[in-house]
Amino acid sequence: MPKSELSIVRVHNELLGTYGDRGNSDVLAFRAQARGISADVVDISYRDALPTTGDIYLLGGAEDAAQVLSTDALNRSLFAATIENGAVLLAICAGFQIIGTSYYAQGNRVDGIGLLDMETLPGDRRYVGDIKIHSPWCESDITGFENHGGKTILGRDISPFGEVITGFGNGESGVDGAVVGNIFGTYLHGPILARNPEFADLLLARAVGKALEPFDDELAKRYASERRKAVR
Amino acid sequence: MSSIRLRFALIVASTAGIISRTLLRRPGETLPGRLLLLIAPDALKQLSKNRRIILVSGTNGKTSTTREIATLLRPLGRIATSPSGSNLTRGSATAMMKRSALAVLEVDELHLPEVVAATNPEYVLLLNLTRDQLHRMHEVKRVADRWRSMVESAPTTEFIGDIDDPFINYVLQGAHKLTTISFGGRAHQDGAVCPQCGRYMEWSAGNYSSDCGLTNSGADITLSAGNASYRNSELARVVAKKFGIDDVPSTDLHLMERRVSKKFGAVNASFRLTKNPASWSEALAGLRSNRITLILNAREVDGIDTSWIWDISFAALAGKEVVVTGERGIDLAYRLHVEGVKAVLVTTFDEAIAYFAEGEIEVLAAYTAFHGLVM
Repeated sequence: MPKSELSIVRVHNELLGTYGDRGNSDVLAFRAQARGISADVVDISYRDALPTTGDIYLLGGAEDAAQVLSTDALNRSLFAATIENGAVLLAICAGFQIIGTSYYAQGNRVDGIGLLDMETLPGDRRYVGDIKIHSPWCESDITGFENHGGKTILGRDISPFGEVITGFGNGESGVDGAVVGNIFGTYLHGPILARNPEFADLLLARAVGKALEPFDDELAKRYASERRKAVR
Repeated sequence: MSSIRLRFALIVASTAGIISRTLLRRPGETLPGRLLLLIAPDALKQLSKNRRIILVSGTNGKTSTTREIATLLRPLGRIATSPSGSNLTRGSATAMMKRSALAVLEVDELHLPEVVAATNPEYVLLLNLTRDQLHRMHEVKRVADRWRSMVESAPTTEFIGDIDDPFINYVLQGAHKLTTISFGGRAHQDGAVCPQCGRYMEWSAGNYSSDCGLTNSGADITLSAGNASYRNSELARVVAKKFGIDDVPSTDLHLMERRVSKKFGAVNASFRLTKNPASWSEALAGLRSNRITLILNAREVDGIDTSWIWDISFAALAGKEVVVTGERGIDLAYRLHVEGVKAVLVTTFDEAIAYFAEGEIEVLAAYTAFHGLVM
């Protein structure tokens, strides 16, 4: 049965909010409400108990120490089980690294929460700049900005989120991110959902459980198309 | 280095400065310093000998605070200073070419360690460290760590700082000589994690206290709370007091705001520089007009990544007449659209002026727009 209300859980934004990450949840709520779907953004801080009833969960970008703290809190919560039960997850940058088996922070290897079979190693450089990818989940190319020092190696059964056209993504492997079921991981911030409304609608449709009514937001379309043209 | 080489470098650099200012009509603040350092790489060190030097750095407020300190210290004689915000190492070198016993220089956050090492300053004022140009700074903590090593290796310099900013407090913990100031606390966007021990930090009404002992209580000087212009003016006074300058008349805080007015036809525009979440939030809280133009660019010095505009609440613009422009005006227009703030998007600043046609407007401008339009 399709849902008429959505709970969008913004996880540890005070830790995982370095790159305007809160914008992703704002855009999801905005585009849901435009379709008459009521959508609440719930901010869950490091000290709060993580709800298991959310429809969409968001993990964002972070500095190293914050990434480690967030990982600890997630490991102590029912987060992994909640996502494995089918909730939609968008995990970006540091948040993307957290859901793998391990990553590096401040020079040390840190265990992730192990939601996906992938590990992140220190990169050969820092990967900074505009990025454009083509994802099989979206018709239009997806643009964003990346700023990270890790390269992510995907396990054999994991699909990348897309092929890199410009930029780095998971490092030098030519792909960005990872997708398993309703779990979407990527290095693109921007925020990605502000710049790529088609991807925002994909996540909403997954959460609602049916295709969404069209929403002709001219400004959103123009913004997405200008960024696609600008990032070559 | 021979003094002959330095003297030659100074002649070349001064000549270049004169040519740049008179023939090319440029401010001539970068080129002379660049040439100087090219010919005599340790010129900044040489020129710093036997002078009393104050450096000012931080994410926001460098230019106005430097200007304020220079104004307060004027009774002491000639002062070498960097007047229009030319704050990289070469800008410091240009400023130091002026003969004076005293120098007050603003220095870019990433260039500060190099300039401290070269100039061996008497005082360094550290204002704040917040999110800014992350494509270049990468992380706030990374800049703080560099500063921490810098203060540890400058035993004769006194570091003065506002410890309501936990990153400044963390940096000052490594100083041999220091003066700490608190305005009673304020929130910090990146303050959830202790920069010293990496643990989650407890905040209460803008005050923090970490498990490792890092806290903004117990500062050497405690002052009442106020906006950024007020705080910067008070910090400038703390520095002036070190030089025996006391009991100066209160600062015109409007001057500290670094507001610049300029006429465009029948439109009188009052500009403020807005370049990161902290300076945008400060400017939005201090709006005086109901007719606003916002300019967003994303060149190197603006920060080539615009994601941070989502960290700002634009609610203060609700109900005002808002025009958005700039090379990345569309990013801002969409951000306002999602927040439910009505705005008109235009392609150029001229179109924004044409839209308002006459009267007073307020302009919040990205770094390159501010410098391009009013400097």
